[in-house]
Amino acid sequence: MKFRTLAAVAALATVTFAAQAHGPTRQKVSESIEINAPADKVWAIVGNFQDGNWIPVVEKTEGKGGNEVKATRTLTLKGGATVEEELAKYDAEKKLLMYRITKVDVKTLPVNDYSSTIELEGDGAKTKMTWRGAFYRGYMNNDPPPELNDEASKKAVLGLYKAGLENVKAKAEKGS
Amino acid sequence: MRCSLRLTGRLLPLPFAGEGGPRRGSGEGLAPYCPEASLPSPGSHPRGTLPRRGGRAFIALAYLLTSGASALAQEALVTAQLGNAVEIIDLASKTILQSIPVPGAPAGIAVSPDRKTAYVTRPEGHGVSVIDLDARRVSASLDLPGGPLGIGVNPKSGEVYVADWYGARVFVLRPNAAGLTLEGEIATGKSPSGIAVTPDGATLLVANRESDSVSIIDVGSRRETRRVSVGQHPFGLTLSADGRYAYTANVVSNDVSAIDVAAGRETGRVATGQRPYVIAFAAGKGFVTDQYSNTVTVFDPASLKKVAAIDVGDHPEGIAATRDGKTIVVANWGDNALSLIDPSSLTVTGTIATGDGPRAFGDFLR
Repeated sequence: MKFRTLAAVAALATVTFAAQAHGPTRQKVSESIEINAPADKVWAIVGNFQDGNWIPVVEKTEGKGGNEVKATRTLTLKGGATVEEELAKYDAEKKLLMYRITKVDVKTLPVNDYSSTIELEGDGAKTKMTWRGAFYRGYMNNDPPPELNDEASKKAVLGLYKAGLENVKAKAEKGS
Repeated sequence: MRCSLRLTGRLLPLPFAGEGGPRRGSGEGLAPYCPEASLPSPGSHPRGTLPRRGGRAFIALAYLLTSGASALAQEALVTAQLGNAVEIIDLASKTILQSIPVPGAPAGIAVSPDRKTAYVTRPEGHGVSVIDLDARRVSASLDLPGGPLGIGVNPKSGEVYVADWYGARVFVLRPNAAGLTLEGEIATGKSPSGIAVTPDGATLLVANRESDSVSIIDVGSRRETRRVSVGQHPFGLTLSADGRYAYTANVVSNDVSAIDVAAGRETGRVATGQRPYVIAFAAGKGFVTDQYSNTVTVFDPASLKKVAAIDVGDHPEGIAATRDGKTIVVANWGDNALSLIDPSSLTVTGTIATGDGPRAFGDFLR
């Protein structure tokens, strides 16, 4: 689990993205999983922006604005760290949603200017779920320390995505 | 010869005249392509709006003599930043002619006045790679400190300017037979990004992202002469064809600033989509990539009014007009593709697959 739950380090400064320069090399990752359940069923699990509980490390979701663009949510993670996010795109017909992190501690997730897209492609009883992310590394200046470099950031996001996708697959295939 | 066709081509109001229109700013190589085409018919405009003919005619002649053939090729030179490559793409056949490995996350690009050499910045590999465009290979490399990102070429002297993203300076590089030599540096505002040089080669403009300003620099003395306040976090900077107006894409305030270069002041703004990045001009209109909206905002550079928004790919970044002015080319970083836009009908006419993470930040069409 790379969404670092242990880092409930409230003492550490958080980052407001709008005030900050981003480094020159944005990274991207993409992870997909095939789920043996129809897309409507999977969308019922992941399609509500106000409920991030399908992400294993999330304990609580609080937000406002429903599934309208610019809706916000705060994810409280197990251990107490929080992530603030804003919905940027929502298309129930295409089963696609995109959101950005507006505030996170790089100790929680070592990224900056993070945006994320979740997309479902239904094929009868099966669904392909894809989770994509675009972001800059945790350290915004030149010559980053190893734990905040491009590789570390990609690894952290990919770990989050893999765990999330496997959790959705398990939930959707359980039948409930 | 396309150029001669353009001489009788349609006329548009100055200073955004000519289908080639104002050329890419950041990394502007040869400024006007066929400058005569931008001249209005006699009497159609006040004399005061006419660009200087003599210098432009000379440039056009020099251009025809040195690189007429390449003008027909319409190649895109795409920095695939995550793929660590520069790709030479033929726009007509929509194929990658050559992928040239360039390590160090290549991002910015500029082309020499004779259009035979490309200069590519490596923000991670900290330097500039020189590419021989006829041989389609890296011919030289120069290491630089800091974070080389924005790059431009002086259309008269061939000097190369490289912005240090992590600093507050522009490096001045001199091309020679062996490649490039570091000659000096010019102080700017913080996080210099987009670069443009006026067609007469006398003035260098730099967008200072963290200082919310544009540095106007006298090339001769290598000193900043004025600093112009613009919107929040200007990144791309593009000049009108005659070099009288500059435009910055302001990433945080989500707008474009227009600057009167001679007066040294901002004259107005036009709202864009989210995270505007780079601006190009064609068919008398301005085109801005909106990184977060996945659109290109179209605006009228004279009235600074929004005209349209065109859906393109994921995270559009670099944008430029082809030298015949008939196509706007957009590099979509997110989905590894170029979008081709007809600047008259304002529709996407095609896409071309690229390598991973195309940035194409600069003068990437030839």
